[in-house]
Amino acid sequence: MLAAWLFLSPALAVIAVFTVVPFVQGILLSFQSWDGVSLDTPYVGLANYRYVLHDTLFWGSMKNAVFYGVVGLVVANAVSMAMALAVHQARRGAAFFRTVYYLPGVFSTVVVGVMFSWFLDPNIGIINQTLKAVGLDGLQHNWLGDPKTALIAVAAVFVWYHWGFGFILFLAGRQDVPRELYEAASLDGARGWAQFRNVTWPGMSHVTGIVSVLTLLSGLQIFGTVQVLTNGGPAGHTEVPTLHIYQQAFQYSEYGRAAAMSVIFGLCLVVLACVQLWVSRRLGGSTDSRTEKGR
Amino acid sequence: MTRFHTADPTGPTSTTGPSRRRFLLGAAGTGLATTSLAACGSGDSGSSGGGSEIVFMNQSRGQAATLKALAKQYTKQTGVKIKIDDAGPTDFLAKLQSSSQSRNMPDIYSAVDGHSMAPYYKAGWAMDLTDRMKGSWGDSFRPATLKTTTFGADNPQGVKPGIYSAHWETPALGVFVNAAMYEAAGLEPDRSPATMSEFIDQMRKIKKSGKGPFWFATSLSNQLVQSYASNYMSDEELNATFVGKNSWKSEGWRKTLQLVVDLRDAGVIANGSIPSGTTDNPTVEKAFFNTQGVAAIFDGTSVVGVARATAPDFTDFRSFPLPKADDGTRTPRLVGGAAKGAAVNPRSKNAAKALKFLHWLTAADQQQVWADGVPLIPSAHAVPNKNIPKQLTGIAAKISDVQLVQNQILEQVNTALQKGTQALVLKERTVDQVLGDLDAAQKSA
Repeated sequence: MLAAWLFLSPALAVIAVFTVVPFVQGILLSFQSWDGVSLDTPYVGLANYRYVLHDTLFWGSMKNAVFYGVVGLVVANAVSMAMALAVHQARRGAAFFRTVYYLPGVFSTVVVGVMFSWFLDPNIGIINQTLKAVGLDGLQHNWLGDPKTALIAVAAVFVWYHWGFGFILFLAGRQDVPRELYEAASLDGARGWAQFRNVTWPGMSHVTGIVSVLTLLSGLQIFGTVQVLTNGGPAGHTEVPTLHIYQQAFQYSEYGRAAAMSVIFGLCLVVLACVQLWVSRRLGGSTDSRTEKGR
Repeated sequence: MTRFHTADPTGPTSTTGPSRRRFLLGAAGTGLATTSLAACGSGDSGSSGGGSEIVFMNQSRGQAATLKALAKQYTKQTGVKIKIDDAGPTDFLAKLQSSSQSRNMPDIYSAVDGHSMAPYYKAGWAMDLTDRMKGSWGDSFRPATLKTTTFGADNPQGVKPGIYSAHWETPALGVFVNAAMYEAAGLEPDRSPATMSEFIDQMRKIKKSGKGPFWFATSLSNQLVQSYASNYMSDEELNATFVGKNSWKSEGWRKTLQLVVDLRDAGVIANGSIPSGTTDNPTVEKAFFNTQGVAAIFDGTSVVGVARATAPDFTDFRSFPLPKADDGTRTPRLVGGAAKGAAVNPRSKNAAKALKFLHWLTAADQQQVWADGVPLIPSAHAVPNKNIPKQLTGIAAKISDVQLVQNQILEQVNTALQKGTQALVLKERTVDQVLGDLDAAQKSA
């Protein structure tokens, strides 16, 4: 028994120092006032939480987070899955496309942000210049400066940046679906959509569940892309909770308020993730049992 | 059931248990890890330097080369070694914060804006230079530099009143114009517009010539607004607003914000919006210096250094202060006063040496080196104006008219002002609504 604990102790120490202690400290900090430097951190009770509850900008930014979450969940996952299915079926160049599709995810967020801020530049951006070159001057736009397109433009960059992650997992999931099921489905007369609906989709349900949760959380926690591209602008139209938390801590030196916002936002994420997992399990369970029955 | 295989009670591990040697190795390893972790958080010297070497944590990338050259010169003269730790603008505050938490602060470090530095001054990480500035050292600076770096009794950050940093740069913000574009539009680049309406007319002509007229970054919109506010309010009135004694909903601020509406309605804001994001000002500077897509920008004097680094061939531009308001009741004054400088860590063993080095860095001879190397407008009034780069002469001519406002706009209000400016440009909010937002931000801060 002692030997088991001794072997476990390094891992437990690492988890305690790098996960448990910061987590508890974060919660404690939400009840304190701290400017980030002072050694004095007086307890302020629920004052930070009261401030957050009345902070209309924080709650307003939640709407945008939900938008990015939904875009991540629906659009990014749909694109990733489509690419994964296409690459799986490709007879030539599969390795090339596998690399190219996964590539965006290896870039740093700042690099992606700066790169797309150039692409989307209203004057010299490659998108507007291309539109001009092909005679579509009328479609040129101030993509990040116009509130009507800023949120969508940032979401599009987010999808591009994150599709590699979903793609690689969906591809692995697709490769795990037994070929015999497709052969059986073919014998039953199932083609294209019917095969996808009754074989591919149920077979990938577990991968879809985990990718959905992770993409949803990535969308809700989007930060770097927004900060570099718009910093919440124009006029707060792309503001997200993580950016607001960052401003409280690192611009206003209000670490206690930032911690309170993090606790509230973290709880929201946990609830959403639980709901998402529950839905995935329900869907996965029902489709799996249907497949079993089908067999 | 492989899952339970390792729990087999007849297995060798459970029968023999850990040997004494293994136990001692494990205990030693744990002890070593604990000691290493403890060492990371220990150290009460409050200094990362030691011996005769002074450690300088530097924030500025643009001034790093000149600082290194000056440090080398100082070592040659005095024998005191200076180690420059180039944290860079992005990482500087995070690195300084972690240094303060581990009580491993540098002997001397860059002093940036008052709001960011206030926690360090409050925590006793900066030497109070107030008494030292009463003599000849203080007299060597331009009054605006001293005034804007002094924490007054009413400072909202709660810092003990005093001076905690010494600066070698007196920046100012104004308008930079592309001379060739001005001439192409039939305008004279060497003649500054007398009033804001004349400037707006100039921008209309520029627009007609097919070029982008006027642009400014969201992150500089507060300085633009503060510059223009001096047409209607005294420095005391501005300060009273910044510390929350006066309301933002005053006639002076209403007229000030009307400038953004006038620029918008005249259609002279390039692209019809102001850029945001962490690279908003570099975007504006790129459009002016590199792609030359806009004719005029609002920026700080430090932009000349950026131009030399990124567009060395483009030198045909001029500068002038933000033009006077047509209905202004006071002489407009520039926003500026103090930019790059440093603070000394009083808990350092090398505090006295670091102070001497800082004193030397801000002396007139060294300020000449700063002015030539960076370039910048020095804070020492002994440095002759003739050595200031020609592109800055328009603003430098009015450098004595810098606002003497002791406190800065609070960061929370700054954010609200930046969002408000964007909302005005987008016609999403009225001037009165934005002023209400500013009052609310001031109260909640």
